[in-house]
Amino acid sequence: MPREIEPSLNEKQFVLQALQEKFRLDGRQFDQYRPLELTFGDQYGVADVAFGKTKILAKASAEVTVPYADRPLDGVFAIATELSPMASPAFEVNRPTETEVLLSRLLEKTVRRSGALDTESLCLVAGQKCWSIRVDVHVLSHDGNLIDTACFAVVAALRHFRKPDTSVEGGILTVYTPAEREPVPLSWLHSPFCVTWSFYGDRGEIAVLDATWTEEQIRVASCTISLNRHGEICQISKLGGTPVEAVALLQCTSIALTKAKDFSVFLDKKLAEDTKKRNIGGFMAELRSENDR
Amino acid sequence: MATAQPLYVLPGDTIDPSLIPTHKKLPLRLGPGLRHIPPSAIVPTVAGQLVADHKKNSMWVEYNGGRYIPAPNDLVIGQIQRSAADFYFMNLTPFTSNATLPQLAFEGATKKNRPQLASGALVYARVVLANRHMDPELECVSSSTGKAEGLGPLTGGMAFDVSLGLARRLLMARSREEGKVEILELLGAEGLAFETAVGRNGKVWVGSDSAKTIILVGRALRETDDGKLDVDQQKKLAKRLIREMK
Amino acid sequence: MPLDTSAYSLALLRVDGRRWNELRRMHAQIRTQAAADGSSYLEMGHTKVMCVVTGPSEPGPRRSAVGASGGTGVGGGSGEAAQAEVAVSIVIAGFSSVDRKRTARGDKRILEMQSTISNALAGSLHTHLYPHSAINISLHVLSQDGSLLAALINAATLACVDAGIPMTDYVAACTAGSTSTYAAGDEAADPLLDLNQQEEQELPGLTVATLGESDRVAVLVCESRVQVSRLEGMLAVAVDGCKQVREILDRVVRDKGRRMVQEGTIEKGVGVNDMEID
Repeated sequence: MPREIEPSLNEKQFVLQALQEKFRLDGRQFDQYRPLELTFGDQYGVADVAFGKTKILAKASAEVTVPYADRPLDGVFAIATELSPMASPAFEVNRPTETEVLLSRLLEKTVRRSGALDTESLCLVAGQKCWSIRVDVHVLSHDGNLIDTACFAVVAALRHFRKPDTSVEGGILTVYTPAEREPVPLSWLHSPFCVTWSFYGDRGEIAVLDATWTEEQIRVASCTISLNRHGEICQISKLGGTPVEAVALLQCTSIALTKAKDFSVFLDKKLAEDTKKRNIGGFMAELRSENDR
Repeated sequence: MATAQPLYVLPGDTIDPSLIPTHKKLPLRLGPGLRHIPPSAIVPTVAGQLVADHKKNSMWVEYNGGRYIPAPNDLVIGQIQRSAADFYFMNLTPFTSNATLPQLAFEGATKKNRPQLASGALVYARVVLANRHMDPELECVSSSTGKAEGLGPLTGGMAFDVSLGLARRLLMARSREEGKVEILELLGAEGLAFETAVGRNGKVWVGSDSAKTIILVGRALRETDDGKLDVDQQKKLAKRLIREMK
Repeated sequence: MPLDTSAYSLALLRVDGRRWNELRRMHAQIRTQAAADGSSYLEMGHTKVMCVVTGPSEPGPRRSAVGASGGTGVGGGSGEAAQAEVAVSIVIAGFSSVDRKRTARGDKRILEMQSTISNALAGSLHTHLYPHSAINISLHVLSQDGSLLAALINAATLACVDAGIPMTDYVAACTAGSTSTYAAGDEAADPLLDLNQQEEQELPGLTVATLGESDRVAVLVCESRVQVSRLEGMLAVAVDGCKQVREILDRVVRDKGRRMVQEGTIEKGVGVNDMEID
C-alpha cells in the first residue's frame, strides 16, 4: 500500500542543524505560535480554528437523552474526534490510528476530566432526562500540532454554544425554540488550553512550540501541557520518547502558562466581538412588530 | 503564442476549432490536461488555462494544484525509499506507488562502481518512462551524452514543497518573462549565495553553506507561492526578507 | 468514599501509615517464566503485575488486519524498520480491582498506556541494533492499587533486562501527589511519594519515569487538576522516588545474577557474564 513518505535525510539533517543554530524553517522564534485565526459560524457552537495551515472545525450540539444509570444527576458530555482522509491520506475511516487515540484521550482529559463543563447543570429531571452535549472535531487540514488546535477549537465551540432554554413544571419538561426563548450558554467553569512542546537533539535539549508537520516528524519527544488562565494544570502528558531534563520541563510549563493566558485573552475578545455582532439592532429590533416585507 | 486573452476551460468543454493550432509538417501534440477522443474531438480533462504553441504545433492546459503525474522528460526530485538488486525504489509524491531508478543510470556508473545511496536520500532525476498503470522510470544521466548534466544525488541543503504551478513556472526557460517568478534572481542579486534544483513534482531543493540563507530562500518561495505574488510584490518581498535577515 | 485527609496534618502519617517520602513495599522477581525470552513479576504495594517479553524476533504478520485495536504502539521509527518495533499489550485481569469491570477491547486509556510504555522503552532500548524485528512486551495486571502505569513500566524494564536486550539504562517509574486538592491554595501542602488507589482518586498526582540515575524524564503524566506552583515539588519528589526504584530494580537483577552464577544455571547467559557481581 502506498504510504506517507518520511522526511528525507537532507530535510532531517537540515532542520536539526538549523534548530541548533536557533533558526526555524518558517523564521519563527522557538516559543512562537503560528498566526492564530478563529471564526465562529452562523450557528451557535461552530468554531473554525487555524494555526497556520492546520485547520480544525469543531461543532457543538445538544439533545435531550436519558442519563446513565450510575450517574442520574449528571448530563452526558462527549467529544468525538475522527481524523478523516480529508486531512491526510494516512488517516482511514473507522480505523483509529495512534495519533487519533492519543488526541481523543488528551481532549478527554483536558476538557472533560478537568471539569471544564459543569455536567450537573445538564441534568433536567433526575434519572430521567438530561442534556447530552456532543462536540465533533473535524480536522480540515493537517500541518502539525493537531492537539493544540483541536483543544482550542473544542473550547471555543463550547464557549460559543447556546443550548435551548427549558423549564420543568409539574414533571413536564418543555424545551423552547429559539424564537420563544433566547438559548442559554452552557455552565462553563474554566477554559483549559493545550500547549505542546516538541523536543529535538540527542538529549532533547531543544524545545520548540507549535511544530509544523515536518518538524513533528523529526522530533524525538513531545510534551503536552494543558492549563487554564488561573494557573491550574489540567493535564500533562509526555508519553515516552527521549528523556528530557526535569528542570527543562518545569521551564516549559511556566512558558506554557503565559501562552495559555494569551489564548484565554484572545478567545474572550473574539467571543465578545461575536456577541456584539449578533446583537446588531439590539433588543428593540427583536421587538419590532413590522417586518421587512 | 497564446491568445492575448487567457482562455480558461473546464473539463468536458468543447474547444473552439479556431484555437487548435495547425501546422504544415508537424503533427499536433497534446500536453497535460487534454484528451483526444477519436476521430477528431479534443476535450480538456482538467480546469485551467488553455495554452497553444503554434510554432511547435502543441497545446496543453496550465493548472495549479493536484498531484504530480509523471511525464517523460520532466525533471523531478525523488527520495530513495529502498534499494533492490539493480534498482532504487523512489518516491516522487506521498501516497503514490514507487518510481524506479536503475543503479546504473548515474554518470560513470558500472557494475562494480555505482553510487551507494541510503534510504531517504534525495536525487535529482529525469523521468524516462511514464506510462499509465506502470511505475515510472527515472535516470540521472543523459542517455545520449553519458553525462550527468546536473542530475544526481543532492547532498546537504533542504527540500521545500511548492505548488506544482510554481515548480513549472520556475522550470520555464524564461521563468521571469513567461513564468513571472523573479524571486530567486532577486535574492541572488542581493548577494545571497545558494544553488537550487527544481523538481517538477513540486519540490525545490536549496543548497548553501549558510542555514540562514536556505531558510530565507525557502520562506521567499513559500510566500511567493501562498500569496500568489506578482513580480512587483516579489521585489518587495525580497527586500523585506533581506532586511529581516540583517 | 472520600479520603479523610484531615488526619494527615496532625500526625503526618498517610492512610496506610507511611510518611510523605516513603515508598510502599516493593518486591520484584525476574526470569519467572521459563518459556519466555524475558519475564518479570513486580509488586508495588498491592499493585501486582507480570511481564513477558518475546524478541527481538522476526515480526509476525502485519497486524493491520486487526487495526490498532490490538493496540500495539509503534516505538521509535516506523516505515522500513531500520529499528526494532516495540509492541506492548496490556491485559487487565477482571479480578484485579474491587469492582469486577470488564475492560472494553479498544479502551483508549489502555491504548494510551501501551503507547506510553512502548515509546518510553524505545527511548532506552537500543532498537537500532535489531532492524526488521519486533520486541513484544505483554503485561498482565493481576491486582490494582494505584500507580499502575509506574508498576507496568518497571515490570517491562525488568523483563527487557532479563531478555538481554541492550539498553542505555533502567527506565524506573513512580508516582507522586500532593496533600491538598487543587482548589485549596494552601502553601503548606506536602508532596507525597507513591500513591495508592485511595490517594490516587482523591488527590492530584503524577506519574514520572526517569532514565537511570539522571534527572531526565522519559514519561510525565498528570491527569488531575493541580496548581502550577505545586508541580515543582511533586516532580522533585517523584524523580527522587524513581532513583530509589532504580536501586531496587538494580538489586533484583544483581541478586538474580549472583544466584544464577552460584547455581551454574546460566543457560541463556547473554549479558549476565558481563555483569559486575558484587
